[in-house]
Amino acid sequence: MRILLAEDDSLLGDGLRAGLRQLGFQVDWVRDGEAAERELRAQPYTAAVLDLGLPRKDGLQVLAAIRQARIATPVLVLTARDTVPDRIRGLDTGADDYVVKPVDLHELAARLRALVRRAHGQPQECLTAQDVVLDPASRTVRRSDVPIALSTREFDLLQAFMLSAGRVLSREQLEQQLYSWGQEVDSNAIEVHIHNLRRKLGSNLIHTVRGVGYMLQREAPSA
Amino acid sequence: MTPASHSLQRRLLMLVLGVVASVWVATAVLTWFDARHELDELLDGHLAQAAAILVVQQGQEMGDDNHGQGVDAPSLHRYAPKVAFQVFHEGRLAMRSANAPQQPMAGANDDFKAGFETVQIEGAAWRVFSAYGSESDVQVYVGEETHSRANILWAVLRSTLLPMAVALPLLALALWWAIHRSVAPMRRLGLTLARRQPDALDPLALDGAPAEIAPMVDALNGLFERIGGLIESERRFTADASHELRTPIAAIRAQAQVALGEADDALRRHALNQTLEGCDRAIHLVDQLLTLSRLEASAVPVMADLDLSALVRQVVADVAPKAIGKGQSLELDAAEAVMVSGNATLLTVLVRNLVDNAVRYSPHAAHIRVTVQRRNGQVCLQVDDSGPGVPESVRKRLGERFFRITGTGESGSGLGWSIVRRIATVHRMTLQVDHSAELGGLAVLVSGTLQADGRSH
Repeated sequence: MRILLAEDDSLLGDGLRAGLRQLGFQVDWVRDGEAAERELRAQPYTAAVLDLGLPRKDGLQVLAAIRQARIATPVLVLTARDTVPDRIRGLDTGADDYVVKPVDLHELAARLRALVRRAHGQPQECLTAQDVVLDPASRTVRRSDVPIALSTREFDLLQAFMLSAGRVLSREQLEQQLYSWGQEVDSNAIEVHIHNLRRKLGSNLIHTVRGVGYMLQREAPSA
Repeated sequence: MTPASHSLQRRLLMLVLGVVASVWVATAVLTWFDARHELDELLDGHLAQAAAILVVQQGQEMGDDNHGQGVDAPSLHRYAPKVAFQVFHEGRLAMRSANAPQQPMAGANDDFKAGFETVQIEGAAWRVFSAYGSESDVQVYVGEETHSRANILWAVLRSTLLPMAVALPLLALALWWAIHRSVAPMRRLGLTLARRQPDALDPLALDGAPAEIAPMVDALNGLFERIGGLIESERRFTADASHELRTPIAAIRAQAQVALGEADDALRRHALNQTLEGCDRAIHLVDQLLTLSRLEASAVPVMADLDLSALVRQVVADVAPKAIGKGQSLELDAAEAVMVSGNATLLTVLVRNLVDNAVRYSPHAAHIRVTVQRRNGQVCLQVDDSGPGVPESVRKRLGERFFRITGTGESGSGLGWSIVRRIATVHRMTLQVDHSAELGGLAVLVSGTLQADGRSH
């Protein structure tokens, strides 16, 4: 899952980026409101962590602007403004969650997963497609109750597919969801990962739509 | 309120009534003595007059033969029975009133003595006047029972004392009413205070407070205002502290958690170093918050004469390592001792904040100059730097609590300017932020009279 982190404090930003990476997120970090809005408009982030007291443009203004532009990216507001009116204003402006600093990294990660789950209409913590079950919290995958060992990239790719089950995803979209800034992407990296996923999970799960992209089918095709 | 025994009204009433009653009693006693004296004079005069009449009469009727017989002198007045007389001729009783004894009323066994004498006759006290007749063989005694004199005295005194006795309760009532009315404002003040919420700090409004209470109400209102200010500053401190400490604490927490979960040694070290830096920042922030809070809460600090040049030299020496670390050249121009009246601790904080800001926000290899001098009778402390400066539009926002210039890459507390401004105000100095003509960056000038004779407090 690729997350946009908007935080002007260098120590906190550095810590959150490192911590969320440890917990399996791809994190892009911006330090001001204008950059946050620009990135949210440009990239389909799985979710965003937004500080409110940002330079150049206040977090609430950023939030209002992207909601105005019909960008539905789940946004978790992480701020020092702890009064009830602040929380209400934050949520009403378009925040999906409102967390007051300081926060436990694991809790932050869990809240982000919950946001993503809700945004994709998933009632359960675990994502299911055919006989494959993916648990985002423990980052484990089982096929017919047998644990399957996946690399980080393979796991992230499968999660992206499962969150958008039934929709065709282009190679660019998949790359954007998988790689944060500064990470080199080989031109055939996605194909290699998909090949590996098919090998481990069966060839019926991910279909190729030639010239367009790939799609994960939630229900097994009827014989 | 304390019990009624301490009631001001009761005390006033008791005191006034006590004084009035004492004065009345004293007057009565004086009247008693005075009246008795006058009465004695008057009645003694009458006795003497009566004796004189008897002596004259005796001279004419000496030949008459009714020796030793009691003459029924007519009782013409209600006090008359109390009066008796005797006339002796050549030692024999020549005439007496019916109520007079056979023996001479005065000087019975002694030599005859003319004049007044008080004697006991048949158990009663008599006032007797003795006199010689026209010839010395006639002796006249006229006596009067003193008891009757007391009766007259009492009758006289009754007429003055009785109205007094009746008037006292009436006076007490009138006094009670008057005092009750007079202390009403105090009672109202007491009630107003008693009815107030314990945490109410709005000023007391006491309409028509008398001159004696007005200072008390004013003092109380002053106290309320000061406490209100203290609580407000306290409340703001708490709010600010909790708000401003959240970010550094969140950073410390996140970095510590990263360090815990990190397998890579280099990354873990990095996270741990970041944790430490976060702690330093939180400490700096708390220090600044406390300084500002103390500055806002406290009254005028203690001022003493000190050498500002020496003080600045010390601060520059303290900050120099940081400047050297950034490759900056930090220069002090304070050749002469500049004696000022000020608070050393506060001035140190002020100078440290200014120099620290210059070092912190000026880039690598920048030039920073600190100048202390006396100019036109003013003490001037100026800090110039060759840093990026501060745009005109932002300058006036410096000093707002927690206002930070963004994009500097430095993590200040946002309180330094507030502290500097506050300390300058306490020392009646002005703070000017300008473009540095010499070094091209920011120029901060703090100036004031700061007279060392203690006149500028």
